[in-house]
Amino acid sequence: MAVPGVQTSDEALAARAAAGDEPAFEMLVKRYQARVYRLACRLTGNEADAPDALQETFLQVYRKLASFRGEARFSTWLFRIATNAALMQRRARARRPGESLEAFLPRFDADGLHAATPSELQVAGRADELIDRKLLAEKARAGIERLPELYREAFVLRDLEEMETAEVAEVLGLEPATVRQRVHRARLMLRGYLGDLVGVTP
Amino acid sequence: MKERVVCASGVGLLMDYLEGALPEDLRAELEAHVASCPRCTAFVASYRATPRILREATLAALPRGLEESLLAFLRSRRA
Repeated sequence: MAVPGVQTSDEALAARAAAGDEPAFEMLVKRYQARVYRLACRLTGNEADAPDALQETFLQVYRKLASFRGEARFSTWLFRIATNAALMQRRARARRPGESLEAFLPRFDADGLHAATPSELQVAGRADELIDRKLLAEKARAGIERLPELYREAFVLRDLEEMETAEVAEVLGLEPATVRQRVHRARLMLRGYLGDLVGVTP
Repeated sequence: MKERVVCASGVGLLMDYLEGALPEDLRAELEAHVASCPRCTAFVASYRATPRILREATLAALPRGLEESLLAFLRSRRA
């Protein structure tokens, strides 16, 4: 029986949904649809692709509920399905590979010291104060699009969806150290990219 | 003794540092280097700001009507 003010756990709802309780399934859909939509937008780089990825995610969840054994948290299991659905959606749309972001990695002199000055180095962190918000939204999406796919999925889950590294590792089936390495590379590239947007070379 | 952490090697340690995954001795060396290096201090600030800026720039709310069409789609598939 539901206790007022206490939210039924995802896992309990999933068990009921697996047993054919339709309202329990729809409660899970309502609980996660906004996060799955946002994740799909960020992974597909495209708001037009996100609704299809959202539908596909919950259709898969519905079909696979019987196989959800509760070894992982329901949300981890769901985000694994959602990540795959978004990536399938992305691949279905033929894309030109974006120009690499390698050029935006930090540069060092022969002694390993930063080549840029302190004021040049800090300006990327103020990109949001220096660029119009609408333009920044467009450029942010374009920059994330240009990341290598392996870095993109780790970065989106860890830094944009703010999942713990251990959970990202579980979603992607990687070691936490590998997740950290990929997220780090993505941060370095995107940091330089933001600097470039405000007129500073890395 | 030659310093182990310079700007270039320090940058490579940042993620592990911020996640608390760095061994104690390296953590202390990195902190000492960054504290004494204005370039690294500036770099670290922008490195830390990067996820926040991109997160805020890519917020997307569920469009109006999408919940209804999603639920209708799922009901049609379950029928």
